[in-house]
Amino acid sequence: MKEVVMECRNLWKIYDGKIIAVKDVSLQIHEKDIKVIFGPSGSGKSTLLRCLSMLTPPTKGEVFLRGECLTKQGIDLNKARARIGFVFQHIWLFPHLTALGNVELALRHVLKMPKKEAREKALEALRVVKMEKWANYYPAQLSGGQQQRVGIARALAKNPDIILLDEPTSALDPELTGEVIDTLRSLAKQGTTMLIVTHEMPFAREVADEMIFFDQGTIVERGIPEHFFTKPSSDRAKKFMERLIEKTAGEQNV
Amino acid sequence: MFEFLIEYSSMLFEGFITTISVTFFGSLVGFLLGTLLAIGDLYGGKIASTIIGFYVEFFRGSPIVVQLFIFYFSIPIMLNVYINSFTVGLIVFALNSAAYQKGYIKGAMESIYKDQFLAALSLGLTKMQTILYIVLPQALRIVLPAWSNEFCSLGKSSAALLTIGVMDLANVGKTIASHTWRVIETYAIIALIYFIWISIIVKIVDIIYDKIKIPGISA
Repeated sequence: MKEVVMECRNLWKIYDGKIIAVKDVSLQIHEKDIKVIFGPSGSGKSTLLRCLSMLTPPTKGEVFLRGECLTKQGIDLNKARARIGFVFQHIWLFPHLTALGNVELALRHVLKMPKKEAREKALEALRVVKMEKWANYYPAQLSGGQQQRVGIARALAKNPDIILLDEPTSALDPELTGEVIDTLRSLAKQGTTMLIVTHEMPFAREVADEMIFFDQGTIVERGIPEHFFTKPSSDRAKKFMERLIEKTAGEQNV
Repeated sequence: MFEFLIEYSSMLFEGFITTISVTFFGSLVGFLLGTLLAIGDLYGGKIASTIIGFYVEFFRGSPIVVQLFIFYFSIPIMLNVYINSFTVGLIVFALNSAAYQKGYIKGAMESIYKDQFLAALSLGLTKMQTILYIVLPQALRIVLPAWSNEFCSLGKSSAALLTIGVMDLANVGKTIASHTWRVIETYAIIALIYFIWISIIVKIVDIIYDKIKIPGISA
């Protein structure tokens, strides 16, 4: 039995006491698991990821990272966040730092690595995403796809227990999406534990151990990818899948 | 035409040193204090922000000559210590400049995208680390042209020091003019000295700005 890396139990996120963004979600992600979350815009997927990484405190429920409860009082959240990699939809690289500087930052100042070791680790992470040649370039000098690969390297370099990716390709055009997907595919092959919000269905079908259909703040349906590609049980998931497959086919025909 | 000034050259030099000392001290200490005030105003909570607000309004809302008088006459009475007028000048110019620089620095800090905070948080950086490694390095680059303006303005306002008897460049000019009655020539030279040294500093700041410029970040 594989170890549980991240878990949430009965997680809720309610804004202003009335807007329910995440509703009673329970989830387990095991070592080397790749789970894909998909669902309509505004369904709470990003909020769920932010609650899991404690970037946004959940209103109710518990989050565990390797058995340690992150939602209890008195926990050092900065230390916990350092063990979780997070890749944002809009990337958010620090514009005053080079690609290397972006990746090195947490290694130097959070993990307190000596300068030389941090540099080697950062270069290693850039090598994994095939960006080592661009190490000394600033974000403004890189394409969106390259920036996102640096974003992935930044999350990866900390050697986190898990990487959460929030629609890492949705701000990119199809060509740039391809290069980011290739990077994620190679991370998947290396056994990186990942929870990915994405609508890249061919990719999800290829790498996901489980797909989760999320709607109105909660898990509607879950199963192996083939389940969704052949016989999703809920109407909502069926319609959403049909539209996604149509869209993907449309893009491939262009 | 200007030979008469040779006799006063050492006096002019001392006046010049006094003026640049007050300007440099005022703008550098003002910069450090202004940065702390900006951080306090943005992240220090309501009470800190209100106190900083009063401080800034006092220094921006009253003439520097009045501030010099207040400090020059009130410090010896309140603290029962003698303090020379040059030291009063250093203190007032630093405090005054800090009030202005706080505004520039705060504006630059606010212009940095809030989501960078989220990215920093996701890496495990603390709030202080985020300010130190993410916000300030960007804000200080953005603020440099405004800082150059502040330096010019401070250099010129330093002439107000003559009101409390400091022998700065302007006061030296006044003394020479009253000794020699060569008012136009004297003040023409004084103006030229101000113009040259302030222009040199502005040029140096421009060069620094270009040197530390990063693609994608500009004022």
